[in-house]
Amino acid sequence: MEIVALQVLNSLFYAAVLFLIAAGLSLIFGVMGIVNMAHGMFYALGAYVTAWSVGVAGSALPPAALFIFLLLGAMAVALVGLVIEPTLIRPFYRRPEEYQLLVTFGLLLVLEDVIRLIWGGTPITASGLVDSLGLVRIGGLPYPIYNMLMIGVGVIAAAAIWAFVYRTKFGVLLRATAQDRRMAAALGIDIGRIYILAFGLGCFMAGLAGAIVVPTQAAVLGMGVEVLVISFVVVVIGGLGSLEGALVGALIVSALRTITIQFWEEIELAALYLIAAIVLLIRPTGLFGKKA
Amino acid sequence: MDKEKLEVRRGFLKQFGATLGAAGLGAAGVGTAHAQAKPKGNIPDRPVKVGHITFLTGPAELLGGPGQRGHILAQEEINAQGGLLGKRKIETIFADEAAGTDANVKELRRMKLSENIGLFTGVISSGNTPALGPVAEELKVLTLFNDGCTDFLFDKAVPKPKYTFRVTNIQSADGVTAAIGAATHWPKVRRIASLQPDYSYGRNVFEHFALALGKLLPGIQVVSESWPKLGTTDFTSHITKILSTNPDLLITGVWGGDYVAFYKQALRYGLFDKMKVATTLAFGGYPHAIGKDHPEGVLAGVHANYHFLYPSAERWPLNKSFVERYYKRFKEYPSFESDGAYIALYLYKQAVEKANQLVGGWPDDEAIIAMLEGAGIDSPAGYLYIRADNHQGYKDAVTGLSKNLPGYDFPVWDSNSIVSIPIRSITAPPNWPKPGQGHNESTAAADWIKKTWPSAKA
Repeated sequence: MEIVALQVLNSLFYAAVLFLIAAGLSLIFGVMGIVNMAHGMFYALGAYVTAWSVGVAGSALPPAALFIFLLLGAMAVALVGLVIEPTLIRPFYRRPEEYQLLVTFGLLLVLEDVIRLIWGGTPITASGLVDSLGLVRIGGLPYPIYNMLMIGVGVIAAAAIWAFVYRTKFGVLLRATAQDRRMAAALGIDIGRIYILAFGLGCFMAGLAGAIVVPTQAAVLGMGVEVLVISFVVVVIGGLGSLEGALVGALIVSALRTITIQFWEEIELAALYLIAAIVLLIRPTGLFGKKA
Repeated sequence: MDKEKLEVRRGFLKQFGATLGAAGLGAAGVGTAHAQAKPKGNIPDRPVKVGHITFLTGPAELLGGPGQRGHILAQEEINAQGGLLGKRKIETIFADEAAGTDANVKELRRMKLSENIGLFTGVISSGNTPALGPVAEELKVLTLFNDGCTDFLFDKAVPKPKYTFRVTNIQSADGVTAAIGAATHWPKVRRIASLQPDYSYGRNVFEHFALALGKLLPGIQVVSESWPKLGTTDFTSHITKILSTNPDLLITGVWGGDYVAFYKQALRYGLFDKMKVATTLAFGGYPHAIGKDHPEGVLAGVHANYHFLYPSAERWPLNKSFVERYYKRFKEYPSFESDGAYIALYLYKQAVEKANQLVGGWPDDEAIIAMLEGAGIDSPAGYLYIRADNHQGYKDAVTGLSKNLPGYDFPVWDSNSIVSIPIRSITAPPNWPKPGQGHNESTAAADWIKKTWPSAKA
């Protein structure tokens, strides 16, 4: 029984992280029409900045204060996004999609090397954060309280994003721009501002995902590419451009992964792609995608 | 460890001629600097170009980086003495193995055809050596692979090598070494769980570990297999699954950044309290990649090759001086890849010098190859022997239990726990039938173990 409880928690934690990444990916695509291949690197960057800053400040501050670095890591990534959008992405809006794919893919490679130049090849960790909160016992098996807390952060993040997009004026502008860019511009919306903020928000979410993950694991080279692939599976299932889709997709992918690992390990990856393929066959735009 | 237990274990190890603890290495104090004979004949003074492909980016940089540094150290030392035969400096062209197998093959061709390299070195991945080996033979470029240690290379891909050699131990020895280490330290384990990266290396480790342990201990039962994809960092579901099957022992070949992520999670899930853990590559990357929170008493594998504190400084001064020079140059400690890449270049130097004494002038590849076949060299890790029949390097295999010692920011081996196994005891002998020659095991080693190892009785 405790195994089931643990696997459900494992699955929810993984889903929370996947949701943050996939929702950012979807937001950027929904508003700007850009498939951001570099998105996984923003996740990695969040992990590295957080682990590094926790490492630097770790000895000087009490463990509880270190949680601020989760937010700091995410904000640092958002800042990077705010610089990258006007300089690298904006010149390519009018070009065909393959240019955008090439640029963002190039950005992925460059960022991977930048991370290696700054932090080197050795994994960096911030596991003090997990240890500072201790463990709970679930039927005799330990489970980190940190992971539970971060599942909560995932839920709060999902609610906050929903409220932001559907309950604020900026959200209205965002959705208007996503629906019809030219009409929105004609009505006096500052498209440039919407774009840069949407991109920054997407980066913030990816950075937050990396920041949340890194205390439980480690910041390692290649983590961004690894997660990008699985995030694409999430948005393919949920529907690219849809926040609800990102949420449902993340829950499906994560639950499916946990179930196959527990019972039928050989088909873990195959099952994920099979579900994605079935969704594409039946609903090519994904479960929550809008009809083109 | 109490004395009685130690005796039992020593008895157990006797069948392999293996040793436990800091001893090992029968003949100690062999010097390294034998006086170099004066080169014969006219030696041109243009540099020798060397190609070196290794992982410079991605998670495998953890192995490739130390390899590259080992190569650089050897190159700088040889060049400081005036170069090969005192005349020819070494110039290295590096390329990133992470570019993928096809790109590596193209790069090897480019290195030979447009840069005219005299020697090709490096390569970490077992996916790449079987692709590069045949190309090296076709291009007739002398090749000393650092790693990429799959049995498949010389069993199948290049069954009759001429230009290709490999320095580090063969892959099947890795799983077998872990099995002997586990059986030595924990003879009571029966229920085995396995967590392996889902590609040829993980399959090889699991197969040879299970095969060897099944011969060493009676009543072995595999209760759980997990095959995470290489590059996985979320292991929580795998760990929970392993816990659900109540094993006595977990064997894992997970390595690099994946291993760091794994042990962090396993620690918080209490996995190390519930079972013994044997690994093949926990100490395989940069030594400082593993933190002091890593539990003690884990069988911390080094790919059955080398860890910088063994052979010990007193017994094998060559290792001491290597570690000191390496640390001085790079401000970090070497890994088994550093040792492999370092000694590969010296092996080449030794063969060139010997061939020069015989034929004079700059020896051609045929003469160098003749000197490499059956060559022996004192390496930081101990004696290294290159077998003539399959061009594979052999040195005694080692593993040990992790322990935190003052003086290091990372865990090292407990010197009393180191198991050193003569390599001939765990590898198929020369000319043992290869897969497809009368048997269909995955490796010659697997066939040899199945047919010749006695089984333990309950």
